[in-house]
Amino acid sequence: MSTIVQDRYTDARARFQMLFETRQNRPGSQGSQVLEQYQRKAIGLLETVNFPTRRDEEWKYTSVNRLLQPDYEVGESLPLSKADIGPFLIPGLDCHLFVFVNGIFQESLSDTGSLPAGLTAMDIAGALADEQARPAAEAALNRLLDGKTDAFKLLNAAFSQHGLFIRAARNAAVEKPLYLLHLSASGDKASFHNHMNLVAAEPNSELSVIEGFFELPASEGAYFHNQYTYFHAGDNAHIHHYRLQREGREGFLVSNVEIEQEGGSTYASYALDLGGRLVRNNLRTRLNAPGTTTNYWGAYFAKGEQHIDNHTFIDHAVPHCVSNELYKGIITDRASGVFNGKVLVRKDAQKTNAFQQNNSLVLSDKASMDTKPELEIFADDVRCSHGATIGQLDEGAVFYLRSRGLPDAEARAMLQHAFLAEAAENMKLEAVRLYAEQLVHSKFGE
Amino acid sequence: MLKIKNLKVAIEEKEILRGINLEVKPGEVHAIMGPNGSGKSTLANVLAGREEYEVTEGSILYQGQDLLEMEVDERAQAGIFLAFQYPVEIPGVSTANFLKSTVNAVRKAQGREELNAAQMLRLLREKIRMVGMDEKLLQRSLNEGFSGGEKKRSEMLQMALLEPKLAILDETDSGLDIDALRIVSEAVNQLRSPDRAFIIVTHYQRLLNYIVPDFVHVLYNGRIVKSGDKSLALQLEEQGYDWIKEEADSVAAV
Ligand SMILES: Nc1ncnc2c1ncn2[C@@H]1O[C@H](COP(=O)(O)OP(=O)(O)OP(=O)(O)O)[C@@H](O)[C@H]1O
Ligand SMILES: [Mg+2]
Repeated sequence: MSTIVQDRYTDARARFQMLFETRQNRPGSQGSQVLEQYQRKAIGLLETVNFPTRRDEEWKYTSVNRLLQPDYEVGESLPLSKADIGPFLIPGLDCHLFVFVNGIFQESLSDTGSLPAGLTAMDIAGALADEQARPAAEAALNRLLDGKTDAFKLLNAAFSQHGLFIRAARNAAVEKPLYLLHLSASGDKASFHNHMNLVAAEPNSELSVIEGFFELPASEGAYFHNQYTYFHAGDNAHIHHYRLQREGREGFLVSNVEIEQEGGSTYASYALDLGGRLVRNNLRTRLNAPGTTTNYWGAYFAKGEQHIDNHTFIDHAVPHCVSNELYKGIITDRASGVFNGKVLVRKDAQKTNAFQQNNSLVLSDKASMDTKPELEIFADDVRCSHGATIGQLDEGAVFYLRSRGLPDAEARAMLQHAFLAEAAENMKLEAVRLYAEQLVHSKFGE
Repeated sequence: MLKIKNLKVAIEEKEILRGINLEVKPGEVHAIMGPNGSGKSTLANVLAGREEYEVTEGSILYQGQDLLEMEVDERAQAGIFLAFQYPVEIPGVSTANFLKSTVNAVRKAQGREELNAAQMLRLLREKIRMVGMDEKLLQRSLNEGFSGGEKKRSEMLQMALLEPKLAILDETDSGLDIDALRIVSEAVNQLRSPDRAFIIVTHYQRLLNYIVPDFVHVLYNGRIVKSGDKSLALQLEEQGYDWIKEEADSVAAV
């Protein structure tokens, strides 16, 4: 790897490096020598990578310029009560609740319950000191730092304060989902929040993880939440991963989710993106052994000046795997959306079934959507398909609804709801699905 | 109730309705017949407010108001209902939710109290029975994958729920089996009342055995070229349209 000279964002990088040094003396870092080493390594590696520019194919439609402009300080904890977080709890959902405010774990607001026998959830510092957890935690961190990395992942590794290590033990069907709730608020200065999850689902286990990202009501200014989540699905393990997101008007969210799947395992992503100033999701799965199923279900809805970018990747490296992907969304006002769905079917990945579809409604002249399916197929005995549509509402349907007495706005809202609902319908947990619908509903009302 | 005067309508520069005159009074049932492509659906859609059609001349008064000035939803709220020849399929909108929303939207617009969940359920059940529809369809997306007959019944259900003042049925009988035809006709007959009028577009005299019309009109080439009572429908059934076309064409040629 060569060291880079001409980086457009040299200043931004220097500010992050400086922030890291001052951060060292703050309380709240986990005080683990081993973790500290990883963090130092990460900030060191930051020197070797560039922040992406629009010249990078992967970032062609999303500029991080605005995201990197503020002079960030590391987010601080806020005195919140249980009542304050009420609106972000999912009604009727019995779960292990972990609450983070500005990237900092909130013991008093959390309700982790007593963890069942097959479930481990501890901070990464703890995992690195735990004989049973250490191998998996170390492997995940090494993978993150030694593999193909980028500036945001490195920042995450350097700054995450209360990263979580989660493990479903062999054969454990974890009954209650984990709900990892991330609340953000800007401080006097723009604030910077990082959180890392390392999740290991051991063979034959089953686990549901819900991630929620929301802005706290009183917050106004800029903040940047930088998330990294890694899943390892062991043989025949089943992972259900929900992501619900509604950041603030000046909220930036970058989320990197990486999954590796072993034989016969299932990973399903159910995502609802309601945007922020800029949201960039990278969702990447690598299939390591045959017989896996990978489902990506996504819904997005951008209004005002929002920008939502979903980049997904499924790497069919081995034969006999199935992937299904459906992303649907609405872009209106002056908002913009990006969908880039890459599916790579390598030479040996015979009998692959890979389906991908992206449908967007673009509802105003000033709104835009860039969609790019990227199917690269090097095997010959496969079934793959993809499709992308960008359209407006079906005026025939609008007329039909209005001819039954529904006012124009109501008719359009009903059709837009219906459009998004298809992607949310797949959510297995009823309570989460209803909550997601409620979030969508309130966005229509904004 | 409805006064159409010299109505001319074009779509994409092509004149389709070429001077329609029709008056419908409360309580009356008017049947409109006529060959394919003569403009029957066009007339129905213009009444419902479809915007692709351009009214180039003439006027429509509905309950003393200028109908052409009213929005599509205002018309529905004022009691106009069109049962479509080809109802659109709307994926993702549940039939039950749709029906509930329309009933309350119309009630609200009319200044009546909206129904609560229990009242709504009772109303839905009653009307479903009336049109002989399978209750399971309520859980499905609106019209999506409905059979031809199911779509027509769903239109009749909507009519029964919205209790319009002027109901226009565009070939609701097409594609119905004999039992369905009878049930739908009975539903219409139940709704017949001194203050409600119907315009029934059909190709078949058979329907008019069940729903006996006060007037029968023949629409040809964008004009009503003949009007009569129910016997006219019988005559058309026996003789077809040729004699009418000839008559009309010779008049037009003069
Ligand atoms: N949207 C449209 N664009 C172009 N032409 C149209 C459109 N709608 C109707 N027409 C034309 O207008 C004429 C009248 O059509 P209309 O559907 O009103 O006939 P109809 O009497 O209802 O016929 P049918 O008995 O077959 O239902 C036809 O020639 C038709 O092709
Ligand atoms: Mg027709």
